[in-house]
Formats: sequence, C-alpha cells, structure tokens
Amino acid sequence: MTVRRNTVLAAVGTGASARIVLATAIEVGRATGAEVEAVHVEEGAGGLDAVAHAALPLRRLTGRTGHALLAALDAEDVIAMVIGAGVTPCGGHPVGETTLHVVTGTSKPVVVVPPAAVAARPIRRFLLPLEGDEASSRPVLDALLPLLAGDVELVVLHAFTEATLPRMLDRPSRDLALLGREFLASHCPPAARIELRSGPVADIVSEVSEEQGIDMVVLGWSQDSSKGRAQVVRAVLSSSSLPVLLLPDRQRDQRP
Amino acid sequence: MRVRECTRARLRDDDHCLYPAQRRADDDGGVGSFPSLDETFDGLVFDWEGTAVVGREADASHLRRSVEALCRGGVHVFVVSGTNVGDVDGQLRARPEGRGRLYLCCNRGSEVFEVTERAPVRVGRREATAAESRALDRAAALTVEQLRERRLDATVVSGELNRRTIDLIPLPERRGPKRADTRALLLAVSHRLAACSIQDLAEVVRIATEAAQSAGLPDARITSDVKRVEIGLTDKSDAARFAAGWLADRGVTGRLVLVVGDEFGSIGGVAGNDSLMVVDTLARARVVSVGVEPCGVPEGVLHAGGGPPRLLELLDDQLQRRASRRVPQVDADPSWVVVLPADPAKERVAEALGALGNGWAGMRGSREDPGPEGSPLFAVAGAYEDDGLLLHGPIWTDLAIPAAHGPQPGTRLVDLRTGTLARLAGGTALRSVRFLSAASPHVMALRAEGRAAHLGPAASGLAGGRTAERPSSLARSGRGRHQVVVASADHLSEQGERAAVERIATWETGVGGRSLDDRAAGRLAKASSLGFDGLLAEHRAAWARRWRDAEIEIGGSAGAEEDQLAARFAGFHLLCSAADAGEAAVGARGLTGDAYGGHVFWDADVFVLPALAALHPRAARAMLEYRVRRLPAARAEAAARGMLGARFPWESAGDGSDVTPRVVRGPRGEPIPIRTGIREEHIVADVAWAAACYAAWTGDQAYVTEGPGRDLIVETARYWSSRIRVDRGRAHLYGVMGPDEYHETVDDNAFTNVMARWNLSRGAELLAPTGRREDGRGAAHWRQLAASLVDGWDRDRELYEQFSGYFDLEPLLAADVARAPFAADVLLGASRVARSQLIKQADVLMLHHLLPTAVVPGSLAPCLDFYEPRTAHGSSLSPAVSASLLARAGRPDRALMLYRLAARLDLDDLTGTTAGGLHLATMGGVWQALAYGFLGLRALPQALMVDPHLPGPWSVLSLGFHFRGQRVTVRATHHDVTVRFESALTLVVAGKEPEEYAPPCVVVALPPPDARRTRP
Repeated sequence: MTVRRNTVLAAVGTGASARIVLATAIEVGRATGAEVEAVHVEEGAGGLDAVAHAALPLRRLTGRTGHALLAALDAEDVIAMVIGAGVTPCGGHPVGETTLHVVTGTSKPVVVVPPAAVAARPIRRFLLPLEGDEASSRPVLDALLPLLAGDVELVVLHAFTEATLPRMLDRPSRDLALLGREFLASHCPPAARIELRSGPVADIVSEVSEEQGIDMVVLGWSQDSSKGRAQVVRAVLSSSSLPVLLLPDRQRDQRP
Repeated sequence: MRVRECTRARLRDDDHCLYPAQRRADDDGGVGSFPSLDETFDGLVFDWEGTAVVGREADASHLRRSVEALCRGGVHVFVVSGTNVGDVDGQLRARPEGRGRLYLCCNRGSEVFEVTERAPVRVGRREATAAESRALDRAAALTVEQLRERRLDATVVSGELNRRTIDLIPLPERRGPKRADTRALLLAVSHRLAACSIQDLAEVVRIATEAAQSAGLPDARITSDVKRVEIGLTDKSDAARFAAGWLADRGVTGRLVLVVGDEFGSIGGVAGNDSLMVVDTLARARVVSVGVEPCGVPEGVLHAGGGPPRLLELLDDQLQRRASRRVPQVDADPSWVVVLPADPAKERVAEALGALGNGWAGMRGSREDPGPEGSPLFAVAGAYEDDGLLLHGPIWTDLAIPAAHGPQPGTRLVDLRTGTLARLAGGTALRSVRFLSAASPHVMALRAEGRAAHLGPAASGLAGGRTAERPSSLARSGRGRHQVVVASADHLSEQGERAAVERIATWETGVGGRSLDDRAAGRLAKASSLGFDGLLAEHRAAWARRWRDAEIEIGGSAGAEEDQLAARFAGFHLLCSAADAGEAAVGARGLTGDAYGGHVFWDADVFVLPALAALHPRAARAMLEYRVRRLPAARAEAAARGMLGARFPWESAGDGSDVTPRVVRGPRGEPIPIRTGIREEHIVADVAWAAACYAAWTGDQAYVTEGPGRDLIVETARYWSSRIRVDRGRAHLYGVMGPDEYHETVDDNAFTNVMARWNLSRGAELLAPTGRREDGRGAAHWRQLAASLVDGWDRDRELYEQFSGYFDLEPLLAADVARAPFAADVLLGASRVARSQLIKQADVLMLHHLLPTAVVPGSLAPCLDFYEPRTAHGSSLSPAVSASLLARAGRPDRALMLYRLAARLDLDDLTGTTAGGLHLATMGGVWQALAYGFLGLRALPQALMVDPHLPGPWSVLSLGFHFRGQRVTVRATHHDVTVRFESALTLVVAGKEPEEYAPPCVVVALPPPDARRTRP
C-alpha cells in the first residue's frame, strides 16, 4: 500500500508574484510537513521560470482559472493552497477576482500572499487573532492544528471587544498576564504566548507582527465577501506584508 | 427489597402499595434485604415505640450493641419517645463510650437525658407552671365536654408532667393496642367518630386545639396516636429541635442526619406522629419510615417499612460504612454549597473557588488526579521565598492515580458550612472529602474512594492484602529562610471493586532542619491517634462555632437566595483568611492563589480587617500584629527616605520591606514603571486606621492607648509630620497617588490628605498624655499640621476635589465610554484616562466610607452624585464600597446592583483573574456593604448605631458579629429591626436618641424611608 503524502499547491501565474508565492509555498510545506506542487492554469503564453528555478513539480491545468484551481484544491491529498493576492499594492481591493473565487469557494485553508509581501522567509511563528469566544476559536483551532508539523510557534492575539474588555484590573500589568494565561487555557492551549491589546484588529496585527517577528497571520473567516463583511480579513490583506492563512468557517457569521 | 420514595398521592392510587414492606418481609420470611442508602450519617434521630422496638417487652440487645458501636464511632444518637426515661433506658440499657453521644428525649419532648457510661443524666426538662397545669386541666375538660356534646364518650386518662391525655375509645378490648393493629384501630375509631357525626380525627384535633386556646394555651401541642388525643406543652418536635440544635452546634446538619420513625403519613386525617420530628431545622435530613404507613408517606420520606428490624439494618449498614472508611457525607444544601466549574479550561478558576483555609494555611481545590491544566497550591501564611514570593508548600492531596485511567468524572463542591471540599460521583467513580482543620491548624485530611484498580493497596504497590498502611512520609519545599514540611500517612483498603484511601497530614514551617521534620511527625502521630472521623468532627464543630459568631442571612425574592450564598461565600473566605493568634499576613488573594506573590496590600488593613474585627476579633488582632512586627522595617524605610516615623510599604511580604515591583516589561521589552510603591502612601495612614477600627469594634481601647497599636498610630503620624510640606501657611502632600490609580502622581489627594490629617490628630491624642515635654510639643505640632493640611473641600461646589486640579480635567463620565464596570485604562489608554475625570474606584468617597465623621456633614450625597458617574469601577475594590455608601445614603436598590457585582465577582469570574486567587478585599467589602451599608452599623464611641436600608428584593437581612466583647445579631426587615445581644447594650437606631437596652433582645419599629434622616 502506498502512503500518499499531503500536498500544498502553489498557484502560480506568469506575473511577478509567482516567485514569492512559490517561495512561500515551500515554507508552508515545511511548516506543514507536506509536499509542494506548483499548479498553473494555461490561459495564454507566458514563462514559468520561477517554477523551474524552484525545482518544484509543475502541473498544468486547463479551463477557467478559478474553477481549475478549485478543482485542484479539491483533491484528497491537497491540504492547502498558496496563492497571490492577485492585485498590486496600490490596488483598491485586497484580492483579485481569481483569488477571491478560490478563497470563497473552497472549504480548505488558503494562504494568500499579499501584494506588499517582499520576500518569503521560514514560517515558524504564526499570529492567530482570536475573538475570545469558544464558538469562533474552536473551528479555527480545529482547522489549524492538524495542518501544523514540526517546530512552529503560535502567538495568539486578542483585541479586546466590548464583550471581552476586562472589567477590572487591580494591578494592570500583573492582571493582564493572568488574563492572558486564562485566555489561552480557554481558547488556545497550544499557544506559546498571547498579546492582549485594544484597538482596530488590522492595526494591531501589523503592530504585533512586527514586534513579535511573526511569519504568518492566521485568520478564520466566514467566506462572505459581500460588502461590509470580512472587515478584518480585508484590512489585514490590504495592510499586511506577511502571508495570510485563511481558514474557512462558514458558520462563523451565523453564530450568535 | 428496595427503598421507595412514595408520595401519598401515589399510594392512594395504588391499593397494592399498602403494607409494602411488611408484605415483602413476609415473602422473604424476614424483613428482606435493605439496600444501602449510600449515605453516611453523623447524627441519628429515631422514634422509640414502633420504630426501635415493637413493644415494651421486646428484646433490645441488638439495638443496644448497634447504638453503642455507633457512638464509639462518633455518631450522635437521639431516641425520641413519648414514654418516660425509665421505660426507654430500662429496655435499651445502652451505655455508650467514645465520641458519639446518646440522648434519650422522653415524655414527648419534655425531658432530655444524656446517657453516660453509668446512667442517663437529665439535661433538660420542660415543666408546666402551676398556671399552665391549670390551663391544661381546663383544656382537657373542655375537649371532653365538647366531644360529649357530640355524644362521643371520651375520658381524660392521664395528666403527666405537662400534658393531658384523652382516650377516644375507652373500651376494655381496645386497651394497649399493638402497632400492627393500627389499621384495625383506625377503622374502629373512625366508625366511632362517624357515629357521633364527627368527620375524622382531624376534627377531634381541631376541637382540642380550640379548647386549649380557650384555656389560655395558644401554643399547645395536640397529637393523636388514633386511640388517644393529647394536649401538651411539648411534643416530638421539641425533641427533634433539641437534637437538631445540638447537632448543628457540632456542624452536623441537613443530610448528615438520619431521622427514622414509623408514623410519618397521616392517619385519620391527622398528620403522623413522627412527622413532628421533621422540624424546619431537620428539613434537609434523610427521613425514613419503617412503619406500616397505611395512607402512605409524605413527599421526601423514604418508605422502607419493615418495622424495628429495618431500623437495625439501617444502623448496621451505617456501622459497615464506617468500618469500610467510606467517604463521609456532605450536605449539599444549595444555600451553603458552591459547585465548582467542570470545564477543564476553567480548572484554575475552580481551584480558587474550591480553596480551603484555616487562617494558618490554605490550599486550592485542585483535583486529587491533577491534570496539566491545574495550578495546585498549598501554602502557609507568612511563608515566603527569599525573593518575597509566596512559598509553595508540598502538594499533599495527589492520589497518584495513573494517568492512563484518565480524568475522573464527578462534581466538586465546597460546603461553606463545614469548610470541606467534596467530590461527588456515582458508582465506583472517585469520591473524596478533604479539609484543613479549623480545630487543629496544622492538621489536614483527605478521604477518597474509587475503583480498587486505581486506589487499592495493590494498585499503589503496597503489600498487605485488602488493607495497608503507607509508611508516613515527609515532603519539603523552600530552601531559604522559610521551609514548609508536610508529613503524611495513608491507610488503604479495598472491598470488592471499591477501594478507599485515608490520608492524614500535618504541616510545619520554619527555618528547616531536623526539628522541623520532628515537629511535623509528632503532630502527625497525634492527629492519627484521633483518626479521620475524629478530626472531621472537631473540624465541623469548629466551623459551627465560627458561623454561630458570624451568621449571614438574606431573605426575599428575585435573587435574594443567590445574594445570601454569595455573602456566605465571602464570609467563609474572610474566616479562612487569618490566623487567630500570632501574626497574620493576609495577601490580596489570601492563600487561594499565588497572584501578586501573596503580597500584603492595603486590602488587608482597610477591607479585610474591619470585617474580621467584627466576625473574628482575634484574627483582626493577628493581622495588626503582622504590621506591629514590621514596624522596624517601616521605620527603616522612612529613614532611608530621610523621613521620621514609620512608612509602611505598598506591598510587603515576609520581612516587611517594600516588595512592590518598580518596573515591568511591556510587549516590546520596554520598561513600564509601576509607581504605586513610591506614590500610594495612603497605606501609611490605612495601617493606623486599621488599629483604630479594631479598637472601636472590640472596645479594646487599651490596644491603641498603651498597647502595640499605639506605635502603629504614633509612628505613622510621625511619618506624615515629616512628609508634609508647608507652603504659605497651608500644609500639602505633593506627588502622591490616591486609591484612584488612573491618576498616578498628583498633589493633595483628598483621600490621602484627610487620612493623614486623621492620623496626625489621633497620633497627637496618644502622644500628648505622656507628660514628656517633647511629646507635648510634638503633639501640638501635629495638631497644627493637621489643621493646616488642605483637604480639597470646595465650598462653592460643595464637593471635595479629588486632588489639586482634578476639576480642570476633561469631564468624562463612565457612561460616555462604556457600561461600568470596565477597565478604562485598557480601553482608552492610560494617558487619555489620566487627562480625564474618569476614576478607577472610590477615592473621595473612600473617605466617607472610612472616616464618615471626618468629612463635611452632608457631603456624602453630593459627592456620590458627582463621583459615582465618573467611576469606571475598574478595580475589584470599588463596587462594594460604592454599594455601602449608596445604601447608607438611602439608595439601597442602586446599592444592590453594585453589591451583586462585588458579591459575584469571583463566583462568576467577572475580572477574568479569579484563577490567580480570590479577591479577599472584595469579600471584606461585601461584608462591609452588608454591615455598614444595608444594616447601617457603625461603632460609635458609646453605642452601636443601626440604621437599616434594605433593597426592595430583600425582605430580611441578618448578621451576627462581635461588638465590644459580646455577640450581637442584627436582623432587619423593611419595617423593624431586631437586635439580640448578651449584656446591656446602647443602641442608636434609625437616627433616634441613644438608648440602653437589657438583653437578650429588642425590637424597634423603623420609620418609613421618607421620614428617615439620611446619614452623613
């Protein structure tokens, strides 16, 4: 019996982002213990030098790009896909049409490499913003933890909301440390540490990513990209220079 | 045969249910088997005739052996009989030895005899006065007359002691019927009554009751055993009340008591005789009927049937359970127990909520099979590491159940009444009970039972078969000046699939060495000689005494029951928090967690101590002793700062030096200064205030005039005299921090200044009488400084300004930002909050709380109106103080909202930090809100002030406490206040003139709320 290994797909096009998508996918493969395979949808002529340079197997797909990528992602051995945001850093949208089609159409994790990403680096430290309720934390952990392998570190970020803002802090620095410990116990026991902050989540993500040397941001989301939804995902994808792992949680917005 | 819990309705629907036990007994050729109740009782109350013996000639030798064995095992037995002691004792002839007591409650509750090793000795008797005897005669005659008017031939057949008996069926063939003939007798009497147009026995009872009332006996006890009706001054309920009260004094209540009778169900429309034993104080007892019960049993009574043989089975089952060292019973009374969270993610919160303590030592309620999520702690008060952090003692409760067996299910609860932590479970799942002895502070014990494969001698690797003793062992922690040693010994046994472990442990603390080990081992030998059951009995009795002096009762609707439990939870942990001798270092989280390193803050002096001064004065004294013994360190601290006197540190641990962290690291590793240690100097006056508070409540003025408390007040006053700066004729305190820590470095904080002013004035009073010239000069100087110290009073606004410049800050209200309580510094950032009028907690208002007579009269209400909306209540200390003041100001319903916030703070983990330990200061604040706020208590120089303001949902609030050497209970309703006391007491009730009252009790009607003056 052959044991089939998990695969991470790197969705590459002919644009400038291909190189960093591939490099990111290689690091994601290391962090997840999966093989990496590049996929490319043939829509026209164009060089794929980056793939050759990365010495990765390349599978050429046909058909409409978004659909072809989703079909490839649907394969049993594929655990995630890495894809470029599909927009320029100056663009008005966080992701392009194809990427949006993929991230909203799959039930599997997708790593989006934002346009501001400059270089791939080893992915060892994940930043995991959590809202502080069991219903939203659990699906994120259930999706994330099976992906991870090897020497990785989880840093949880919680931006206080009206519901989670501490009511009382007798001795603030010491009480916050206690609060953090209990937050992790309730919502993410495997995490190495936690950052508790106030303010807009996207701003804090950038701030903490920089302070803590984060390699990848992890976000759970409802896959609802309609206007007014997924604000945090939009904001982080727009502002982050780090790859963002999107974990689908379709029930997210239905929960009270 | 199964025990059945039958209701009367069910029995009426099922004729076949009549005589169930007897019928099964016949089938079995005996009384049949009796399944264990799976409960172990410490008090046993049983009826005599029909329950314990079939008749006066019956052989009671088996019963005697069982009763004596139970008493040897520590069970207290009460025999309740309608007959005289000679009959009962002549038949039982028990002569118990051991811890358990045997009482014979004879003559239907009129007499009580304690049975000693030699003979019964009467300990109580209710005799009728001459007037009562005449009234009883009249009542009996009137009853007979009424019955004869209905053509029923009834006669008065006896007139013993304090009762009169009327025979309803005085026929030769109905003389002395046996219990088994009850049904036949009932039929005969019913026919006889019906023939006279008397509906049933209930009507006869009503006739006798009315006759007694006409004769001047409004509280006569009318009973019937079908054949007879008795009019008396006592009945079985008096016997039961005596038993319940005696047992309660020893912490044996509720489900720890078994009541057995044979007539609980109604007969002929009259409640069964034994139902009288189910008095309110035994309402939670396990009640079993061994009788025929032809009309069924009331709800809650187990109908076992089987008569006296069944009682013997019950007793023998209890003996067997004790021999097997089964886990003792805990009364899961919802008004006294706190159930711990079961969610593993909340395990550390559960551990804090399940903490136990005896003032000397404390431990968290960690599982006996601890998992990685737990954070167990056993600690000894005052034992710190050399770095000033609380020393973790050896964990002695771990049963070392192999992890492979997984976490054990079960419910954990704390019984506040007896200070025990229990783990309940069904079948052979792990059960346990543990305690830290309140009677012997160095002793603790645990008993557990579970699967033999987990706990049995073989599973523990011990040889010895079904029982084994694990040799005593010593465990040690700490390597510095303090060490903690725990000595423990286990007894293991197994029976079938179930095994039991009994562990007795003792602790010692000191500088280490062999003597420490020897002392711990010596204590262990002594404790082991008393045994687990003996230690538990002592412990329960000690808690009963504690609660007797500190009772808390809240009645009413809409949450009053929860309010009461929360108040008792607070009272419990206050009573656990401080030793009652030597010195008591009471950390902000007590010994329920290691948050803040077990450091002592003003929380102890201003929040916990006032409660203990009333609840447990010796513990309050020990708390002051902690400060007294650290005066040298406080003097050194003052000297190091170029000051005089004594400067107590904001945080202190073992040696009294300042252990407040000066800096913490922020997320970027940047240093964040902590200024409380440098700026929050009001603690200096707080310590002095605590000494005065203790003296005011206990009446021990000598403690502050010539005792150790004098130095606490004088040396702190001396510090202020050097700390204050005089500028253009006015005295100031620059660069301080008040209780509102949102404003870190301010000048002339009203709270600090007025506290310092009080401290100087009180110090001057104590300094002046020495006769030494320099003291006289010093006192005069201190008075002058006190008089010139600015206090922030703004005449125009008629408000105290919290500190110089406060009124100029952004006038931000809490409601503009979020719904209080909230941590404004987290939400808005520390610098933004510091620029606003938002405050963390009562600051100016804290003055009204601590020094109500040192503030401008009438200033409470305007200060509440101004500062309360600006208070974020971002400190756990805040809500209770505000609740107290609001109640005092006649706003009890708003006060109740804040009271509930404080009272539920840990129970609901409102701060998210309960895992690090319980907030003891909040608990002190809760008690103060009840006492100073809702009851309006204040220790005046010559009197106790009582001025209750109850919130709408409460119908009654009652607190017990000590006041100047006597026990006092104040019970308030919306209409009146009842004060019970032991010796003459001067009271000022609801603003009335002082009046001296004679004990034991006074009831004073309260004027309507709108007619009452608001207290200053």
